[in-house]
Amino acid sequence: MTTPVPEHHDGTSDATPGGYENDRRPGELGFALFMLAASLGLLWSAYDISGFEALSAPGAIPMATTLAMVITALIIALRTARLPLIRGEGFVKDILPGTVVVMTLFLIAYALLLRPLGFLPTSALFLVAAVKLLSGRGWAFTLTVSLGSLVAIWLIFRIVFSVLMPAGIVPEAEFIQMFRNLLGGKA
Amino acid sequence: METLLAFLTVFTHPELLLLVGVGTFAGVYVGAIPGLSVTMAVSILISFTFSWDVHPAIALMIGIYMGGVYGGSRTAILLNIPGAPSAIATALDGYPMAQRGEAGTAIGVTTVMSFFGGFIGIAVLAVAAPFVSDFALKFQPRDYMLLAVLGILLVGSLSTGSLLKGIFAGALGIAIGAVGRDPLTFTERFTFDLKLMEGGISFIAVMIGMFGVSEALMQLHHVNKAAVRQKISRIVPSFSTIRKYLPLSLQTSSIGVIIGALPGTGGDIAALMAYDHAKRVTKSPEVPFGKGAMEGLVAPETANNAAVGGAFIPMMTLGIPGDAVTAIMIGALFIHGLNPGPMLMIDQPDMFWFIVGALVMANFFMLLFGLTGIKLFTRIVEMPRAVLIPLIMLLSIVGAYAVNNSISDVYWMLGFGVFGYFMRHYGYPLGPVILGVILSRLLDDNWRRAIISEREDLGRFFAGLFSSPLSTILFLSVVLIFVSQTPLWTRAKARLARKAA
Amino acid sequence: MKHVVFGAVSALALGLGAAQAQDYPTKEIQGIIQWGAGGSTDTVMRAVTPHAEEVLGGTVVMQNMTGAVGAIALNYVADAEADGYTVLMGAENPMLYKIMGLGDKDYSEFTPINILARGTPLLVANSDAPFNDYAEMVEYVKAHPGEVRFGATGPGGLPSVITAMINTIEGKLDYISVPYDGDGPALTALQGGAIDVMPAVLGAAIEGVRAGNMKPLAVFDVAPNSKLPDVPAVTSFNDGYNTYLPWGPFFGVFVPNGTPDDVVAKLSAAYSEGAKNPDFVELMDNRGFTLMGISGDEANQFLTKWQQGTAWLLQDAGETKASPEEFGIARPAN
Repeated sequence: MTTPVPEHHDGTSDATPGGYENDRRPGELGFALFMLAASLGLLWSAYDISGFEALSAPGAIPMATTLAMVITALIIALRTARLPLIRGEGFVKDILPGTVVVMTLFLIAYALLLRPLGFLPTSALFLVAAVKLLSGRGWAFTLTVSLGSLVAIWLIFRIVFSVLMPAGIVPEAEFIQMFRNLLGGKA
Repeated sequence: METLLAFLTVFTHPELLLLVGVGTFAGVYVGAIPGLSVTMAVSILISFTFSWDVHPAIALMIGIYMGGVYGGSRTAILLNIPGAPSAIATALDGYPMAQRGEAGTAIGVTTVMSFFGGFIGIAVLAVAAPFVSDFALKFQPRDYMLLAVLGILLVGSLSTGSLLKGIFAGALGIAIGAVGRDPLTFTERFTFDLKLMEGGISFIAVMIGMFGVSEALMQLHHVNKAAVRQKISRIVPSFSTIRKYLPLSLQTSSIGVIIGALPGTGGDIAALMAYDHAKRVTKSPEVPFGKGAMEGLVAPETANNAAVGGAFIPMMTLGIPGDAVTAIMIGALFIHGLNPGPMLMIDQPDMFWFIVGALVMANFFMLLFGLTGIKLFTRIVEMPRAVLIPLIMLLSIVGAYAVNNSISDVYWMLGFGVFGYFMRHYGYPLGPVILGVILSRLLDDNWRRAIISEREDLGRFFAGLFSSPLSTILFLSVVLIFVSQTPLWTRAKARLARKAA
Repeated sequence: MKHVVFGAVSALALGLGAAQAQDYPTKEIQGIIQWGAGGSTDTVMRAVTPHAEEVLGGTVVMQNMTGAVGAIALNYVADAEADGYTVLMGAENPMLYKIMGLGDKDYSEFTPINILARGTPLLVANSDAPFNDYAEMVEYVKAHPGEVRFGATGPGGLPSVITAMINTIEGKLDYISVPYDGDGPALTALQGGAIDVMPAVLGAAIEGVRAGNMKPLAVFDVAPNSKLPDVPAVTSFNDGYNTYLPWGPFFGVFVPNGTPDDVVAKLSAAYSEGAKNPDFVELMDNRGFTLMGISGDEANQFLTKWQQGTAWLLQDAGETKASPEEFGIARPAN
């Protein structure tokens, strides 16, 4: 029985937020400054919607909220800057370890390949690569588990819920129609 | 007598009974998978049940609805990934329990309390539908706006860490909700002149990214750690446990029914408000909120299931949908040759009682399926993380795509996943972001309607707040809750307490 | 392109034969519904398509694609392969995108498969409103400027067209226009008293009127509607409306231009047959829709005429972002 002591205090959920009250984590100041810059950008964009045209203008609430973002982001950045950097934590070790970077890259590759290659090949590649990398087990295990679950997901989403994921190079629709014809006999 | 017969239709027809059961069972799983939504399932059922009679079609839809609202809690408790927006609050205390191996207890309490909430919702629908819908109609744009403000004040109870970061996250959520063409004037907002942004950012995509992908990335830190073994020997909570939470669940169910009955607000907002309410009224929880407090499970789960009955109230009495699912059901009734509207109750009261009967049945099935088959679910969590994490990611992608069949939602989802990952690391709470997105349009649209109705006159707007008792009560609650969250109040209270002593 | 080649090659390999159009449909058709689930476009399309599928002998998978007033769906279908496997199920709004600055495409980039039906606008008021018909309303608004609240659904929506007509014919009225995102929410607000008057499509308001939850002021047509025979036509109050009426929103099925003719013919036949199904006819009649079931040149003419009339009406009322002239939309010859 493990007690949920979050190693590195990493914020597994909202209930146990990451960060420390009296210390600054590696990269935290950078993030806070980035948030401040983004908030300023959004405030400008919100002003751009309709300016100070009217209380009911489409830009009124966006301006109010982005202003709230700028103010809070500014205070957060100032407070964070004053905190001492926590000892014993490194950016690469605790915030962005190699596996996270690699998996994020996998996800980006997935997003890029999804349209040209289609759902089935892309997902198969993704699952096989990810499971192999993370589990470090043999190919038999990797292929069975990833292709098996892909088929299950495909059946649920494509057949039951008719979500048409990009077909890409696999002529899914023709296959399905063929099965329909085989089963039902064409009208 | 005829009423009773109509009510009993479901119970006396085995095939209807079966359909409600199948629907509820499917609903639990649809609800549990983030990205498969009840809304989607029910709209597919319209085509699927096209050639059926109206009774079996509605029976199946009601089953899915009831099961789906409940099912969202499963993944929230076991994986910290809410399967549906209405289960966001459930994750706050459910997941810490699962981390201690108490998932079985958590699911048991959730199921029984969902059943209880569902029952209250149905009871109100059966007994007081016309009154509640009259009351719901009384809500003016300014009242909806006040309700949204009340909702935004929940940021305080949802952000356990720094309140400042919570406010930032909430404001960010409201801004995210505003992206795209404004639905009232079609002005582009935060689109940076990109076509991709015109349609806005799907709120489900944000939710799946922030809770699904970012959680999966987080778990990568402990890929090789063995999963927590779950105790599932004792699932059904004892009677004394249930009795203990009865007063709280009655209050939160009432919140659920009212919020559910209001057109434009649904189970998601109800669950968050109920969580906040529980935090306020529970003086000394056995386990603190956020660490696995039972109250934190009871409140949102009773409320979101009570909201189901609530959503049917305006639908059955006025033909006005209480939420997205009832909107589709109105379409289904219409396709099946009925005319949903205020006359439905008068022309075809048996339809009303049939629906009430089907809801009661679905609620019982929910209890049944909720308390069985837990083993299978816990097995999923006990799967090696090396397999579970990629699967969660893939499901998140498919789910985000399925919402609106658009690839840009997948990009958004991934973006918010990575962003949420950093937010978690640096102590920014994610709940307020989702809260902000949910409330964004409610706040924005109704603020603008309210101020337009008063010809842009702030004086008239404030005078309006005191012109109806409803607005006055809502306004005073907003003020009270706001003051109670400021340090001033805490100091004043301390001084009062000292004087009294 | 790659897709087509692969698709064709695999079709050959599977022995399904290559002559695409003749066998159409050889796979499921994607039907993109421009509006959300449960809305009137959604309901109409989900009600007619199963009948059309029967005639067609294929499957149409319907999906809702919402956002940007329907422009997302329109652009999606316009950019799709013109092979008849992606079909747009939409309403009238795209005809006004250009002049409202909402997009650069409209139905001129599409071939109409079938314009299914047309709705009739109905002016309804809160049941406690201090006026009982159209004439009294106009009088009341004139006597109490800036007090009456009209529901609206954004630029180019049905209420904006109806109020443009009223303003053109009765002279500019001073009222408050409260925006809602659809006639459903607006009619709810009307019953709750948040707004006083709402122009809505008859089908959306009819049940509320029957129950006495709102009162009808006038039907915006040249003759009373058989569904509400006691409600006078607006032309009986003011002859001026004859210029613009009959007018109404419509629902139609479209494919991108360039779709092979025989595919268009097959789809058109399927939908016009499907729209004749008695169940569908009854369903549309119950909601007060006028069935049209037109396709081909007839549909194109209807679209052109509709666009000219509406665009110039809005332009003259000063509600447009850009003049119809810029897009070659000719002023209707009256």
